[in-house]
Formats: sequence, C-alpha cells, structure tokens
Amino acid sequence: MSDTGAPILEVTDLCSGYGALQVLFNVTFDVRAGEVVALMGSNGAGKTTTLRTITGQLKVTHGRVRLADEDVTGMAPESLVRRGVALVPEGRGMLRDLSVAQNLELGAYTVGDRAKVAAAFDRAYSTFPILAERREQKAGTLSGGQQQMLAIGRALMSDPRLLLVDEASLGLSPVMTETAFDLIGQANKEAGVTVLIVEQNVLALDLAHRAYVLERGQVVDVAEGAAVRTMQGRLRQAYLGSGH
Amino acid sequence: MDTLIVGISSGAAYALMAVGVVLIFKCTRALSIAQGEIGAFGFFVGLRWAARGIPGLRWHIPVFATLLVAVVIGVAIALLLERLVMRPLVRRPPLDGLIATLGIALFLALAELRLFGTATQLAPSPVGSWKIVLFGATLGAPRVIALLIAAAVAGGLYAFFKRSKFGLAVLATASDPTVARVLGVPVNQVYRFAWVVGGALSGVAAALLAPAFGGLTPFGQTTFALRALSGAVIGGLDSVWGAIAGSLFVGVLEAEVGAQISVNAKSVAVFAAVLLTLLVRPRGLFGEVAAA
Amino acid sequence: MKSRLPEFTPQAYASAAGVLVVLLAPVLPGVHGVQLSIFVGVIATAIAALSLDVLVGRTGQLSLAHAAFLGIGAFATVNIGGRGAPWPIALLGGAAVTAAVATIAGLPSLRIRGLQIAIVTLALQDATEKFVFKNQTLTAATQSLDRPSLIRTDASLYFFAVVLLGIVLLVRRRVAVTRAGRALLAVRDVEARAPSFGVEPGPTKLLAYTLSGAMVGLAGALLAFKNAPGTLTSTDPFVLLQSLLLVAIVIVGGAGSGPGIVAAAFFIAGVPQLFTSVSFFGLHVKLGVYAPLVSAGLLVVSIVLQPAGIGGVVREQLERLRRRGTEPPSPRPQLVDLGEASHAAADLRQVPRGLALRMPVRALLEAEHVTVQYGGVTALSDVTLEVRRGEIVGLIGANGAGKSTFFNAASGFAPTTGSIRYRGVELLANAPSKRTSYGLARTFQDMGLVRAETVKENVLLAQTWLARYPAAAGLLALGATIGSERELRRRADVALELFGLDHLSGERLGDLPYGTMRIVEIASAVAAGPDLLLLDEATAGLGPEEAHALGDRFLALRAELGLTLVVIEHHVPLIARVCDYCYCLESGALIAEGTPAFVTAQPRVVESFLGRAAAASGGAKK
Repeated sequence: MSDTGAPILEVTDLCSGYGALQVLFNVTFDVRAGEVVALMGSNGAGKTTTLRTITGQLKVTHGRVRLADEDVTGMAPESLVRRGVALVPEGRGMLRDLSVAQNLELGAYTVGDRAKVAAAFDRAYSTFPILAERREQKAGTLSGGQQQMLAIGRALMSDPRLLLVDEASLGLSPVMTETAFDLIGQANKEAGVTVLIVEQNVLALDLAHRAYVLERGQVVDVAEGAAVRTMQGRLRQAYLGSGH
Repeated sequence: MDTLIVGISSGAAYALMAVGVVLIFKCTRALSIAQGEIGAFGFFVGLRWAARGIPGLRWHIPVFATLLVAVVIGVAIALLLERLVMRPLVRRPPLDGLIATLGIALFLALAELRLFGTATQLAPSPVGSWKIVLFGATLGAPRVIALLIAAAVAGGLYAFFKRSKFGLAVLATASDPTVARVLGVPVNQVYRFAWVVGGALSGVAAALLAPAFGGLTPFGQTTFALRALSGAVIGGLDSVWGAIAGSLFVGVLEAEVGAQISVNAKSVAVFAAVLLTLLVRPRGLFGEVAAA
Repeated sequence: MKSRLPEFTPQAYASAAGVLVVLLAPVLPGVHGVQLSIFVGVIATAIAALSLDVLVGRTGQLSLAHAAFLGIGAFATVNIGGRGAPWPIALLGGAAVTAAVATIAGLPSLRIRGLQIAIVTLALQDATEKFVFKNQTLTAATQSLDRPSLIRTDASLYFFAVVLLGIVLLVRRRVAVTRAGRALLAVRDVEARAPSFGVEPGPTKLLAYTLSGAMVGLAGALLAFKNAPGTLTSTDPFVLLQSLLLVAIVIVGGAGSGPGIVAAAFFIAGVPQLFTSVSFFGLHVKLGVYAPLVSAGLLVVSIVLQPAGIGGVVREQLERLRRRGTEPPSPRPQLVDLGEASHAAADLRQVPRGLALRMPVRALLEAEHVTVQYGGVTALSDVTLEVRRGEIVGLIGANGAGKSTFFNAASGFAPTTGSIRYRGVELLANAPSKRTSYGLARTFQDMGLVRAETVKENVLLAQTWLARYPAAAGLLALGATIGSERELRRRADVALELFGLDHLSGERLGDLPYGTMRIVEIASAVAAGPDLLLLDEATAGLGPEEAHALGDRFLALRAELGLTLVVIEHHVPLIARVCDYCYCLESGALIAEGTPAFVTAQPRVVESFLGRAAAASGGAKK
C-alpha cells in the first residue's frame, strides 16, 4: 500500500500486568517506518496496557521492546519522548487548567531548538485553525472533538518518528471519530509519521496498512494490505455475535 | 494603622512558608507540616556556629551568615526528605504523606531539643538591627526584609510560571503528573524543585521570624508554620497567590486581635478563621478545586 | 454452616497471656507504687491513642489536637468534681465536655476530606494551649479534686485504670462488629459510594468525632484522678509534642490494632519513664531524652515501610501460624447447584419496604426525558426508557456513551433533570440511601467496596440500611442489636452461598482476583434485598467460562429470586443470550431499542460500535 521501511518499533514476547494480575501474555508485533498499524481489541483486551508497557509506565515482566536499533525495554517515558516517541493518551490526557498554547508548548518540551518549536507552533495552528482561535482558552473548556485535535496536535509538536494513539474514538460521536482518524491518516501521509493506533472501533482499519487483534492479552489475528478489509468483517462477528 | 503594618510584615514571613507548602502540595499532593522545623533546624545550626564557632574550625561565622546557613541546611534537609521519605509515598494516599511530614517535624524538633537545649535560643537578626518607620509603625530589619523577600518571591514566581520552560513543567506536573511524564516533563526534578524551594523559604522564614519574635525555640517555628498553613487553607491550598493573601490576612488578624483583645486570644482568632473558612468556603478564597 | 465454638487460635492465646500479665502486674516483683503510678499514666496515654485511632485508623481523619482534648477532659473533670459533684458525674462530665468540643472541631469534616482536618485540629491545639490552659477559671486552678475512696491506693487506682481501658477496648470491639464500624470504614475508603449502602457520611463522621472525644475525655479524667487530691499543676502532658507523639503511637502500633497501640503506648510512653537511664556495655543512655526522638524516627520509618505497624506485622504472623498446614482457599467462586442455592436465597427478598405499594404499574422503572449535565458536558440527553417487572434489560453502547451515567442518575449520584419513577414513586426527590430502601441496588464500574475488609464485612456493609438499630445502641449490645446483626449475618451467608463465595467469606477483599471482587460486589447488592438490580459491567475481568456462568446466574436471579435486572455489558453475545430487551446509547442519547437481535442489526448501532465503513461492507455481506 505504501513503501514501508525498516521496523521502527519491535515488541517481542511482551508480558506485563498490574501487581499480581498478569494482563499481557507474550505479545509480539512490529511497526515499520512510514506505515499505520492498528492494534484492535474489545474492552479489557489489553490494548492500553500494551501502550503503557511500551512507554515505560508499567513494569515489563518479560520480553523486549526495540525502537529502531535501540533496546528501550522498561525505559522511562521521558527517555522515549526524547527518542522521538509521542503518545496521545487514553481519554486525551488534557492538562485541563492549562491553556491550548501551554498544552502545545508542553508537547515540544523535549525540543531544545527555539526555532524548531516556533515552526512546530506554525504547523499546529495551520493544521488546526480552531486551536489557533482558542489558543489562550483553558483546555478543560474545549469540546471533546477539539480536545482530540489538541491531543493530536500536541503529540505532533515534537515532530516524532513514532506516534502512539490510545483509543482516539473514546467518547466521540462517529462523525468526530472519522475526523480524528482522518487527521491521523493525514499526519501519516503528509508528514510521514509512523503510527501505532490502538482501537476498539473498527473504523480505524480504514487507515491501517497492517493490523493485529488482541484478545485477553494475546495476539490472536494479524492481517496485511487487502486482508485488513476482511478482518473488519471478522471483528464485527466477534463484537456483535454470530448472525451478523 | 500601625498594627496593620506590623501584621502585614508578620504575614509576609508566614507567606514565605506558605508558598513552600502550596508549591509542594500542588506538585506532589502532599501537605507538609514540617516547613517550620526544616528552617528552624538550619537556623539553630547557624546560630550555634555563630556563637560557638564551627566545630573543628574554631571560626565563628558572622551573624549575617546565619541566614545563609539556615537556607543551605534547609535545602539539604529538604532534598534528603524528598528522596528518602516523600518520593516513595507519591502514589500513596495523601494522608500518608502528611503523617510522614508530621514525623519529620517531630523528629527535627526533638533533635533540636537534644542538640540545642530547651531554653529559648537568642537569635540576633542576620540582617542587621536597623529600623524604619512606615505609616506610624516601627519595623525592625527582619520584618522589612521579610516584606521585601515576600514581594520578590511573588514577582519571581509570576515570571517563572509565565516565562520559563521549567515553570511550565511545574504547572504541568501540578495539573496531572502522569500526563506530564508522558510528554517528557522531568517530573522527579519538579518534585525536587518544589521541596528545595520549600526548604529554602523555610530557612529564610526561620531566620527572620525568630529574631522578630524574641528567639528560636523547638516547636516554636511549628507554631509559625501553623500560621502559614492557616493562611494557605484560607487562601486556597492549590493557589500560590491565595497562600500569600491568606498569610497576610492571618498576620493582620493576629496583630489586630493581639492588640485589641489579648495576646492569648490570637490563636483562638486564627482557629476561628480557619474553622469558618472550611465551613463556609472549603476551597479557600482563591482556590479552584474542592479541597483534597 | 459455621461452628459457633470459639476457636483456640494463636490470637486468642496471645490475648489471654496479655490480659493475665496486666491483671497480675501489682504483684510482680519490682513493681511498687511508683511503677503502678507510671502504668496509670501509660494507660491514660493508651486510651488517648486508642481514641485517636478511631479517627485516624477507622475514619481516615487525622487529628492533631488529641493532647489538647486530653487536657480539656482533665480540667473539666477537676472543674466539675472540685465543685463537689460525686466522682462518677465528674468522670462522665469530663468525657461529655470533651466529646462536645471534639464534635465541633469535626464539623469541617462534613465538607472537606482528611488533609485539612489536620490543620484545623492543629489550630485548635494551639488555641487551647495558648488560651484555655492559661485561663484560671477554665483550668480550675483554684479547685481541688478529691480522690474517691474507691481508688485511694496505688493498686486500686491501677485497677480502675485497667477497667477503663477494658471498657474502651470493648467499645472499640462493639464498634467494629456493628454497623457503626462498617459505616466508618465505608466513609474512610469509599465515601462517595457510601450512600448507596445506606451510610450517610456526614452523621457518621461526626459520630466518630464524638466517640473519639468521649474516649479521650475519659483518659483526661483518669489523669485528673491520678493527680488528686489537688489540681493539675502542669500542662506539659497536653502540649503539641504530646499530640504528635500520640500520632506516633497510633502509626507505630498499627492503625486499627488495639493490642498494637497499647503495646506501642507502653514502649513509647512507659519504658522511658520506667527505665530512665539504661546502661549498655558501659554506655549510659538517658532513655527519657532519646525515646521520643526514636519514636519520631519509628513513625517516619513505619509510615514509609510498614504502614500496618506492629499490630499489622503481628497479625500477619499469627495468621500465618493459624493457616499452617492448611491449603489456602481457591480465590475463584465455586460452582454451585443454582436451583438449590436460589431456593434458600429466595427469602432475601423479605425486607421491610419504606414504600407504599402504588397501583400496580407495568413498569418497575420509568425514566422520562432524563438529562445529566456536568458543567458544560452533557452526559445524558433526553433519555426515555422503561424496565418492566421480571425483565432482564441490557444497556449497551460504546465507551463514554452514558450507560454508567444512567445508573448514576437512577441511584442518585449525578445531577439529573427529568423524571425517574420506581414503582410509581419519583426517585429524583430522594437521597441515594432512600432509593436503596425502596428496592434499588447497583454495582459500580470501579468496584465500590472496601478492599481492606473481609468479604463478609463488605456484604454486611451493603446491608447497612437494613440494620434496624441506631448506631449508639450497637455500642451497648442491646437485644435488638444482637438479633438484627445475627439476621444480617445469616443473609450474608446465604448471598455468598448463592454465588459460590462462602469459602472466601473470611478473606480480605483486596487479596482476591479482580473478577472475584466484582462477583462479591454483586452478592453484596443482592444481600441488600432489592427488587431491581443494576449491574455495571459485571463480567469485566472474567474469563469466557466464568462470564458464561455469570450469565446463567443472571437468569437464576430472575427465575428463583424474582429480581429484575438491568445490565451494562460490552460482551454483546452475552446480552443476546440473556436479555429480553435492549437499549443502545451513543453520546448520551438513545439510538435504538428492542430485542437484542433487532438492536444489534440496526445500522446506527453497528456504526456506533464498529464504524460507518464496516457497516457499509458488513450490511452487504448479509
């Protein structure tokens, strides 16, 4: 579908959980440069746990995470951000009492070059004119869709090479969800950002080059290219029961 | 009018401690009762080194240096505390953090009793003994310096939060540490920063309040810390400007009640003010969130 | 069922040994009048610490004024007794005055949480020290208290103190096993949820302050009598330092552990007085000076490393001893013959209803134009639905669609406009605990039970609204209390059996797997005797076989117990199997209703769950 390159993210045999409760059981997948990979699963499948483990928020009990050539297993979130990984957290992770501009600036926190930061601001404001309009407004007062825009814009401020998106569709109407996915797809096509999107909503498969399905902490299905479309059908069946 | 000025100057010194408390609270969700004794311990050491000289060096440090010693030791204690005691408690319920600072305050005060005796320690002013007259009130040097430093801290914090990158990091951590961490903000450094500032301001407050109020006693600074905490509660625990305003209010209330009614009634007035605030407007005058 | 004989556990032996030592103290070698006097002081400190524990350990409120309360109790006793009142009046009067002051100090707790209480009480401690204790009339400096002839000797005063300690420990035990104790824990750990059990946080917290004040006032009275004849010359025992040391005793001893706290009081307050200086290998150590310092250090170490304190450590070791050689129980629910168990459980529905039976209405729950708004966000908008008696209704929708919000609206945890009627009675005018008494019970998405307590205690907690005795009566173990508690325990056992959990009834809830905790929550809700049960994602955390088994239990609850259920589920095949009717929400609005087969075929529903493109391609696949 598009020219994909070497793997940017390689997750091998990953196990983790919360205290005594193991949630991930030997999860293996990879994301190659330039592509959009979807990690699908219903509620409780372990999708958010996977992202939290990759970004160092949860302890890895087994397995490895590699970013390009580097082993980043268990590295703290700050180190990953500095290596070009940006996360759009579950529920959007708005810093509610800070303004839109402040949220955006924090997205570029690890960028030292003031010129680059200024350029990032220009990019963000031109891609999301609504944010430019409301730059002094407190993030907590934005609508759900606007917050989603801010979350994505904030993640792109550091010009990352890998964008991790955690359930962008959460709490959004279908129209807004489509918009969110469109923006992510845009970032991939125009800016060449590699994306790993974690989702329950099957619509995400429209922009994925490859897809994995997670169920109860294990990878149970994988599809590439055209096969991704037929995966949508299989997932419908899984979610809504037989007869659909 | 003159009690008003005196009250404001006490309030300014309380504000120094209150700013530390609120900064620590906003960043780490822990309420620190130890802000009095941290500075007191440092100032005790400074005074001892001025009176009897640094052990082993036989050099009596000059009086102005006692302030510096108070600050340096205050910062050292704060750093130690943050790393060993408060950082492990960051994910626990806030009550545990409060109890820990209580233990620290108790430990420091008892250590002071053991090391420096029970008698009130004479505390010569580290900033000189000059006076100025302002609107009919005579203010000693410590009080004037307290006013100046409080104003400088207020202005400095304003610029810090508005302009500097690390200031933004502090605001982000105060808003949501998990998200801040995910954005690459050095959250542990922010914790350290909050405690260092708290420790330094605690040292300054001790070095100015003790001379102004007749001497340094163990647990005496905790009483001042109580005024600061009351000010922070009245102003709003999650607002730095609230902490300053609340502390000034407490200082003035104290001074007026002390002058009009009796010295012993001061504490009752402060208690009543805190009680009333928590009953009527629990989030404080300038606070935004319903209290933790 | 369970044996009624007392178990001879290691705990029982330890307690018996402790009691024996205490009673024989006066005849032990080396114990003279001086030591007995010190013991009396230590006992007073222990009682004060136990009273502080009621607030800190059980209710989560940190008071820094307990030394001041001790002084208030002492001076009040001298005041009352010194004016000629008989000693029991002076004793009780001291306790009553302190209880009143403590209750006033506790008023802010109605509006704030634990942290700021510390500051209020610190201010009270300071104000009391600087004002009350310096005031001659209040400290009764001119009065003199006589020591009653009953306790004139050192030994008799000692036994008097022991009796007081015994009473305080007994009261604590009574609190722990009655509804008051469970209510306090609910307020400490799950305050927002507590009203759904019938626990009102406000009055409960004030009760804790009053009880704590009465206990510490008693300790103060004891000190006054210890000093008698005469007045209290020194206010040293009542200063801030002592307040802080009391906190140290509670934490080091272990919040919630009576024996731990008494032991800690003995070591922290008693040992330095008994052995003022000790010699270690030629080193002369002044315990009196260093002991407080060590206590402060222990406090910090305790709270960081071992918050359960000495009591917690000992309890763990004794538990381990008790279990030695036995298998730990399987943490999953056991399979149960549903028909049999349900039959036994059918009488759980026999509960007093505070609701007049209206004209029979077809629908048990009728919601009309229900809207919920939080600030600027509309979580539910104009939702109209009904639940008929005997139905199992499914509520589905994507994350954030408003399903839990609907439960919040129905049970009283969300600002709601519109109308929700239960058996014809408008619910929105009623408090959550009232709605529970009408027959509505619910579970929460993030598990609204107290993890620190056992399974059985939690099931008892959920039935608080059924406990037909006032909290104070529970302290005195009056007849009505015992009968009522016994009934609640019987109901709890039945509910646990119904879900195959009775082998876990003594286990700490927080130690169980997440899925099992959720089932305990359902059992608790059923034990409360509802007609309508709202279950929020009951299958979360369960494996496929367990989820299937839970579905069977839903059907059994309807068939055998006659319950009506509304279930929020993500697992749509379960909904299809179990539900008679189904509503689908999206972004706060109702987008479809009907049988599960009908609803899941609706294009809008499919689109909401799966996305538009999937709907287009999927629809064509039929």
